[in-house]
Amino acid sequence: MKDRITCVWLGAALLAAGLIHSAGAAAQEPGLTEKTIKIGVFSPLSGANMAYGFDVINAAKMYYSKVNKEGGVHGRQIELVIEDDRCNANDLVSAVKKLVEQEQVFMLNGGSCSAAAVAAKDYVVRSKVPWVMLNASADGALYPPTDYIFGAFSITQYAVGGSVVDFGQQHLKAKKIGYINHDDAYGAWNLEAAQVTAKEVDVQLAVESINPNITDVTAPLVKLRAANPDMIAITTYAKPAALIIKKAHELGITKPIVLTVTGTANMSQLVENVGNKDALKNFYVQDVLADAPGGPKIKWVYDMYKEYYPDLDAKPDHPQAYMPYGIAPAMSVVKALQDAGPNPTREKVAENLRNQKFDSGVMAGPIEFGQNDRAAQESTIYLKFDGTQQTLIPGSFQSRWKYKG
Amino acid sequence: MSDKTATVIPASDTERPRLAAPEKMPVTQIALLAFVAAALVVLPFVVTGYVLYIANLLLVFIVLCLGLHLVIGETGQFALAHAAFYGIGIYSSGLAGNAFGWPFPLSMLLAGVVAGAVGVVIGTVALRMRDIYLALATFAFGEAMQWVFLNWDQVTGGPNGLRISPARLGDLEILTDRQAYPVVVFVTLLMIALTIVISRSRVGRSFRAVRESDVAAMAMGIPVRRAKITAFGLSAFYAGVAGSMFATFSTYIHPDSLGFQTTILALTMVVVGGLGSITGAVGGAIVFGLISEFLRQTPSYQEIIYGLILIVFMMYAPRGLFAFIRDQMGRITRG
Repeated sequence: MKDRITCVWLGAALLAAGLIHSAGAAAQEPGLTEKTIKIGVFSPLSGANMAYGFDVINAAKMYYSKVNKEGGVHGRQIELVIEDDRCNANDLVSAVKKLVEQEQVFMLNGGSCSAAAVAAKDYVVRSKVPWVMLNASADGALYPPTDYIFGAFSITQYAVGGSVVDFGQQHLKAKKIGYINHDDAYGAWNLEAAQVTAKEVDVQLAVESINPNITDVTAPLVKLRAANPDMIAITTYAKPAALIIKKAHELGITKPIVLTVTGTANMSQLVENVGNKDALKNFYVQDVLADAPGGPKIKWVYDMYKEYYPDLDAKPDHPQAYMPYGIAPAMSVVKALQDAGPNPTREKVAENLRNQKFDSGVMAGPIEFGQNDRAAQESTIYLKFDGTQQTLIPGSFQSRWKYKG
Repeated sequence: MSDKTATVIPASDTERPRLAAPEKMPVTQIALLAFVAAALVVLPFVVTGYVLYIANLLLVFIVLCLGLHLVIGETGQFALAHAAFYGIGIYSSGLAGNAFGWPFPLSMLLAGVVAGAVGVVIGTVALRMRDIYLALATFAFGEAMQWVFLNWDQVTGGPNGLRISPARLGDLEILTDRQAYPVVVFVTLLMIALTIVISRSRVGRSFRAVRESDVAAMAMGIPVRRAKITAFGLSAFYAGVAGSMFATFSTYIHPDSLGFQTTILALTMVVVGGLGSITGAVGGAIVFGLISEFLRQTPSYQEIIYGLILIVFMMYAPRGLFAFIRDQMGRITRG
């Protein structure tokens, strides 16, 4: 009995102690000294999803290094505190909380995995810390817009779907597009934008929604063939995309096939999985960079990577496909800090980000936020790909979908 | 079940023979408990919100592991669907808060009851299975539930995840880890106490009898069928409560967090801590939770180090970390 009473008292004491303490004290502007400004960077740096973030962070790091060499921002050197978020919601929230509360960073620049990144939304907004994402699209964190979160430098799902219809109509003169998406929320988002764009440019869509784990794509392709589209747009992940391209060739479909950026993380793997270069005779891929990987417009990024990471560059799988995506977010952070003047505050930086517009020279379109828009980039380019060579199609293409609140 | 029967069943470290006189707690254990209690009280005053977030997560995992301990450690039923029940708990609690604005104690109860009810159904279906077949069947249920979480858009938010309203109790709204901490500590202590009570009760003894031998338990008059279903239901109830605890300090859940990896993490914690022991389940959750968080600081090597730690544990402490420590202490005391 005595033990039970002790337990009850202990529990009550704990409850009371915690509640009293939670009143908390007001925070000062953190992460800022006369000579330095501390930025929290995070991304998956281990595990199966490392390819989404490892070289993206390397790209951001080399850009910040360059800025530091050139004198920093208003005389302050940028200090990076880097955390591994393992592409997992709990770990990403741990990383963000550690950066904000323990490392006391001034602002955040991180996130390569959309689902995980969304988990930190409420905390970041409540903490009022400006957060510029790396390559996560994280539509769920960007819509509805908040004052502190900025992302989609490598476009949102909405932009993915809308732009592929724009490309089909403009470049391939398609009047009817066979559209294959996933039957999940990502698929629903890109389809919504595709439908908006199709209506605006007067294109008809024949839609087949498939499960991401599909193993036989014959039925949806036979149905699409019967609809007789002028092109086929694939907005799936890489694995089903390879199955579709392969099966389309087997079924004698010769119309152009366009694969969106959702399925292009590793093109050599895609070619291997398709297993027949003839299937890629009339094949296009969507990209979000200003040029083909290694092309003249973005060669400086690859040269810089070679200079900063000669050992990594010598390895066969580096730089990873998404490496250049890390540059524009770092540029955005530096520009917002510069524009905030010699005495930056988190609020000033967030305000500058909300009105930011510049051309990174790395991404397909300008980086542009607005009072009701937190998605940085909406343009795409297209490359004709024959299994070996990627040839840039002139122009950039955009979704017509806009967030309406 | 007769009293005599109960005393001959192999016991876990928490069990006492039913008729035995209560033992006096050793001074070292009292000191340790006092230290833990003091640490729990002092913690929110001396650490950052980040550390409290980790503490809250560890406490959630403790409850999750206690549930797994009941079904695997006590009853010997190799069930691998814990992440599914945990998910049911998070979604039930989150939806109760989002849709009806229920206060968190009520949402927590609902989460436990819904998960427990599903656990009873699964336990009933899985009655005829054992060992690897039971593991595979429950694994399949776990995978199916993750698919449901991912595709039942209208309820779970699908791959977009579900935003959970902050937990409330009257005018009190839990917005930070610091505010959630006392609630999470209180519920964890309650669940530990409940586990001890269950473990020492007739129900706990019947669980262990089933674990040792279905046939022998039946011969002794233990309702094996009921014991197994109860273990499944209780275990799922714990997972549901753990899910609801998570929802008090986290405002978002995505189905990616509710896969087999979460079940395996909890299983690793229970096994490394010491299968069949409450101390093992609690200690395993704390030790492995901390190891996992510390390893985040060494991204390049963490998988290798994690694997090595597991191998070392299995080689040198196969009965669990705490049994190993006890053995070593005993060896030192004996000289």
